[in-house]
Amino acid sequence: MSAIPASVLTGFLGSGKTTMLRHLLRQPEFSRTAIIINEFGEIGLDHELLEASEDSFIELQTGCLCCKIRSDLSRTLQELLQRREEGRCTLFDRIVIETSGLADPAPILQTLMTDAAIARHLVLGSVVTAVDAVNGAATLEREAVSQKQVAVADRIVLTKLDLTGPAKPALLGWLEELNAGAPMLTAEHGRVDSADVFASGLYDPQTKSAKVHEWLAAEAHGHSHARHDAEIKTYAILRETPIQAVALTLFLETLAEHCGPDILRLKGIVNILESPGRPAMIHGVQHVFHPPAWLDRWPSAQRSSRIVFVTRCVPQRWVEALLEAIAEEVAEIGRVGPPRSSLKLSAGVQLR
Amino acid sequence: MSEPSERAHKLLVESLAAWRLAGSVERAADGALVIAGSRKDIRIERVPHEMFRWTVAIDGRRRPAISLVAVLRQVREALDPAYAANRVRVAIAPLVPFE
Repeated sequence: MSAIPASVLTGFLGSGKTTMLRHLLRQPEFSRTAIIINEFGEIGLDHELLEASEDSFIELQTGCLCCKIRSDLSRTLQELLQRREEGRCTLFDRIVIETSGLADPAPILQTLMTDAAIARHLVLGSVVTAVDAVNGAATLEREAVSQKQVAVADRIVLTKLDLTGPAKPALLGWLEELNAGAPMLTAEHGRVDSADVFASGLYDPQTKSAKVHEWLAAEAHGHSHARHDAEIKTYAILRETPIQAVALTLFLETLAEHCGPDILRLKGIVNILESPGRPAMIHGVQHVFHPPAWLDRWPSAQRSSRIVFVTRCVPQRWVEALLEAIAEEVAEIGRVGPPRSSLKLSAGVQLR
Repeated sequence: MSEPSERAHKLLVESLAAWRLAGSVERAADGALVIAGSRKDIRIERVPHEMFRWTVAIDGRRRPAISLVAVLRQVREALDPAYAANRVRVAIAPLVPFE
């Protein structure tokens, strides 16, 4: 068996990795691709967004990939290769590993290049980093791990240009400083050049900056440290009762209003009362909330709403209390009908 | 006046904690919610059957609020000097999918 290239798709929270992967998996040249997705959260949703075949798809939900790299990733890859060898999955000829948005790429790359258990069967292919053109500069300023993600890339894919227009000089300055050698591609609503995105050949650390060499060397020597900001928390809100569309709008507005910069990532599948057969997929990154994508049908038998949060110091109890209270108020207004003073409103009344 | 619900009570308690503000939220004898022990005295009442469903009295000055979301904004503006209101509008448009 010739070595199979395992490519890495990385990028900070909300940078558009899953959207891009979703597009790629629809292209014919990606039909023989196995996917490993790692989500930093109690409840994964990305697998419900991807239309990959079940048997060549693995979701790692045991924590962030970079923190358990020596065990989980290696074991998962071995399991995938075993399945392939025994004919228990699609005969893939490529693996794409989507890291969690908080993942330090260095230990992942080091494992793929040196782990003895997989080295005979796999080679490290391309490393592709998604960078969000809306929040990218601020994220690079604040999050050291996002700088690493850019520095190790063979290709940088700028996403969300449809929201910003051409990339801003501040962002381009960051990318130039961190990784001037990586060609830059763009993705519009996830649509990226599928022929080019993973076409850089095998990963060659020698073409990267001195910093990248340092990080990889540190991992080779077993260097370990707390990889994530301790203030970053992830949790999921589950709700069995459908949510009225206006309640969801108010809920998201209030989150953005009171703690926008600290909502590092929000994504969810929501059972909207007015649309029982077609759930809404919602996405938010800091202050930016995207219009919901209405799925044609529920991706699984589960009908509950599930919203996953990655936040800095936004308590789960507050988020849950907020959703419950808003849903209650909206439902009450729906029950009692229009207020008796609704006709008293006149110009000059300040709506608070 | 009618009593604010237990959910509204709980939301205010959790909001003070989330915003790291001092103060406690208690029920007055008439059912109103009172925020005490903070920079200002705040009293929150439900006004049933009215467009402005709430009244928020801050150090005795009463202002209407159209929703619980508006109540939260008034409370935070009163208690958190560092709060820069960010009036984001999130349009879940369309509210339901087009068929």
